[in-house]
Amino acid sequence: MRVQKDPDLTRRNFLRAAGGAAALVPLLSSLRAGAAAETFPKRLVLMYTPNGVIPDAWWPTNVTSETAFDLNTIHAPLAAFKDRLLFLGGVDLTITNTGPGGLHQKGIGGLFTGQQLQSGDLFVDGCGQTAGWANGISVDQQAAKTLAVGTPITSLELGVRATENDVQGRIAYAGPGAPLPPMNNPSDVFTRLFSGFGQNSDEVAEQRARRRSVLDTVQSQFKSLSARVSMEDQQKLNAHLSLVRDLESRMAVSSNGSAACVAPAVPATLDPTSEDDMPTIAALHLDMLATAFACDLTRVASFQISTSLNHIRYPWLNSLGEGHALSHEGPSDPDAHLELVTRQTWHAQMLANFLTRLGQIPEGSGTVLDNTLVLWGNEVSEGNTHSHQNMPFLMAGGGWYFRTGRFVQYQSASHNDLLVSVLNAMGDNSTTFGQADTCHGPLANLV
Amino acid sequence: MRLVLRLLGPACALTLAAASGCSSGSPAVGAGGGMAAAGSSGMAGSSSLGGAAGGDGTTALVCQPDLHPTSPLSLLTRVQYDATIADLLGDTSQPSQSFPPENQVQGFNNNTEVHIANPLLVEQFMDAAEGIAGRAVAANLTTLAPCAGSSVAEQTACGVSFVTTFGKRAFRRPLLADEAQAYNTLFAGMAASRGYSVAVELTIQAMLQSPQFLYRVDAARAATPETGAVILDPYQMASRLSYFLTGSMPDDALFAAADKSQLASADEIETQARRLLETSKAHAMVRDFNEQWLRLDQLSGLARNPPDATTDVKDIGADYKESLQQFLDHVYWDKGDLSSLFLAPDMYVNARLAGVFGVDAPKSGFASVSAAPGQVGLLTQPALMAMLAHSDQSGPVQRGVFVREQILCIPVPPPPPNFNPVAPDPDPSLTTRERFKVHTASAACSACHDLIDGTGFGFENYDQLGRYRTQENGLPVDASGDMIATGETALEGTFNGAEELSQRIAVSPRAQNCLASNWFRYAMGRVETAADACSVLDVQKKFATSGGQFKELLVALTLTDAFRYRPAVPEDM
Repeated sequence: MRVQKDPDLTRRNFLRAAGGAAALVPLLSSLRAGAAAETFPKRLVLMYTPNGVIPDAWWPTNVTSETAFDLNTIHAPLAAFKDRLLFLGGVDLTITNTGPGGLHQKGIGGLFTGQQLQSGDLFVDGCGQTAGWANGISVDQQAAKTLAVGTPITSLELGVRATENDVQGRIAYAGPGAPLPPMNNPSDVFTRLFSGFGQNSDEVAEQRARRRSVLDTVQSQFKSLSARVSMEDQQKLNAHLSLVRDLESRMAVSSNGSAACVAPAVPATLDPTSEDDMPTIAALHLDMLATAFACDLTRVASFQISTSLNHIRYPWLNSLGEGHALSHEGPSDPDAHLELVTRQTWHAQMLANFLTRLGQIPEGSGTVLDNTLVLWGNEVSEGNTHSHQNMPFLMAGGGWYFRTGRFVQYQSASHNDLLVSVLNAMGDNSTTFGQADTCHGPLANLV
Repeated sequence: MRLVLRLLGPACALTLAAASGCSSGSPAVGAGGGMAAAGSSGMAGSSSLGGAAGGDGTTALVCQPDLHPTSPLSLLTRVQYDATIADLLGDTSQPSQSFPPENQVQGFNNNTEVHIANPLLVEQFMDAAEGIAGRAVAANLTTLAPCAGSSVAEQTACGVSFVTTFGKRAFRRPLLADEAQAYNTLFAGMAASRGYSVAVELTIQAMLQSPQFLYRVDAARAATPETGAVILDPYQMASRLSYFLTGSMPDDALFAAADKSQLASADEIETQARRLLETSKAHAMVRDFNEQWLRLDQLSGLARNPPDATTDVKDIGADYKESLQQFLDHVYWDKGDLSSLFLAPDMYVNARLAGVFGVDAPKSGFASVSAAPGQVGLLTQPALMAMLAHSDQSGPVQRGVFVREQILCIPVPPPPPNFNPVAPDPDPSLTTRERFKVHTASAACSACHDLIDGTGFGFENYDQLGRYRTQENGLPVDASGDMIATGETALEGTFNGAEELSQRIAVSPRAQNCLASNWFRYAMGRVETAADACSVLDVQKKFATSGGQFKELLVALTLTDAFRYRPAVPEDM
């Protein structure tokens, strides 16, 4: 059975209306009549994996030119997508050369924000160094200002055992000192995205009307209270109020999904703190994200596997060392390196699976993959050195803007410039991003 | 499976500290003690203690009565949200389960500086409110919002009554006129267009998303213009008491006291505090504190390689946590004093843990195993030792850092700024101690390492599952340690094993003050600042005078200026 998707579909339509049954109902809608034929939304995904890489198994080999190189061991799962990849050598996290915080802390904080950490002693790393949150918006959220105008959800933050709730565990920021927590439980993601598929337009309209009345009253309460509190508290209330406003305004947005907008099955109950459930959670997250793109529920996402300084094992790979400790082992420990290469290859496999899935979603004469850019980064280049030089950045997709299928070398380029290039690819024409003194405009030789 | 001993813990402390800022010699520690140099960064109007520290990481407290403690808005935590919903509406479904977890500072998730709204949380507040209101109306409409009449006018009148009575419980104080007006308008509109039940439902939804419900607010409703510090009004004090001591909204007795404008005097506050400490909710609150102070969230998903083929330790973290919480229940409510915390010989096991520890299984649930070998108070609890370990070996670094930072409030000294260390390449063929020596070869490095390792090696009798051992790999365990740079003479010097260390800590003023400071952070939802010094010193003194009685510590916290006063806001002046 196929049912016509309601033209007013939004993720908020039917919170409890359908429950489990809704998940089994395939949803279909033709592209909207009158929609412009070949302009499709662009989408950005940030991917983060921690504790550095093994460079000897990460960087391309047999490099004879920008386009003539072999993928290394870790990227073997991405072979089918080689012409969509863009390796960037010689890009540094210049932003971390100074500023507060430990090396993992300021690496993860600066990675997608291009900012240093705020000073302060909120967070203490293992070495006694202290810092606050990153001091600015992350590139995904900046891009969302352009991309997410027409979607019910601004962005999705997804985590796989990303359960460290401080600066070490956050990659996305709405602004200075405003980190966005990832969702670690696929059930919660499913509920947020798909639990309501199946409401009819009358129910949708009624629900919107009620919510508007409720949220209007709520907003009046913020204003009432704001007049009675200190300046600091007013700032806190105003920030909260703007989120309520955004929630209300996005309720009015209808998504514009494709025929591939079919809600997945209700995920099984999983334990987001369990190492054993990590591969299942990762697969579910990425599958739901791909469907969210197909349904145009959102166009911006981040996906992080664990957090910096994690000490987890990867038991499903029979890798039982602790992540951070393993990453510290020097070149004389080939066993540790093999474990890490195995893990990092699995990370690449997750990306490959995601790209494969996107490539199966038709969009115009191509697929969603043609309109998606993934930027994959890490908070240090190599665990044993904590270096922030020659960072393992890899882009996938973005073919509408970047010349892909290349390995481009730079000389100590600042990664802020890479973030500017990413923004430009997403239709934001900024010439600078992050802290100004480490940004010089978009990277050369990408477009 | 790799079983090579690994050097580094979750903290990079060992390598980095070794390679870096230790050349200035052993850090000195202020004698007054007990308070980490963790000032409140970024909080306007408060001066950070860190800034006042003499570079040694800790600082002596100085009471400065002219400084007024802050009293910021405090967003309900998930634990508080669920407890409040249960008390307000009898809904025990724990609707906050899908909320994103709170950000943490020093383990505490009720920190007002970092536990703030974010887009996902605000969306979840809406979802939760809709679910809660729907269930409430479906189950209890006639008791929740009784209404005899059926005309729009009669129902609107019932709505006014509902807004007044339910609103007062939801906001934990009577509604102000403009607040009530907004809800009455919502109610009347919905009653007219959609009927009474929908009006009640949407009014509940709106209240549960309003800041007066979601935040604990101290600053509103000043009675008279004042400057400086203003004593909390009775309803604010009722909320302070109830959320601190019971983790939920005020009960009927607190509302009644507030209605009578009590709760201003120290005597009245103390009476209520002692009453609340006798309720079962106080037990849940102490568990919540211990979960955060000891950072027991690390036990969720605890993954330890099984020691042998027959021992099943998969997903055993929850059993460990309950074992530790039962021990702490025993200490707080059966024993009641600090000395017992560090010396009580009990260990609680269920059938599964009994298997791990090789003791008789209880018939059901958890039971105490008294006088188990090596079992001496908190520091040797199986959960703690297992948590502070690696998957395949003990964790001297984690244990050393834990004792110094969480138990004694002595921060690890930071390395110099912008130091980028490169870890040496350790030789996997060496023993643990030999590998450690690689990192501590120079005098400069060992000065720093001895701070942590000298403490942590004292716990070598406990393996990565917290099991007591006297031999490791066929060799006798060396559990000798050395406490240095603690700022307290009686704590200092070599010791042999955790029992000897626990004996010292059990009578240590530093440990006593450190626990008081941690309780202060939990009670106030923020790290102490210089303006809190008078209050913290007062609590520490009373705790000491009582002989380390926990109840006296908790009562003392409710009687501090930090707890009873707030700074004036412009409306007051």
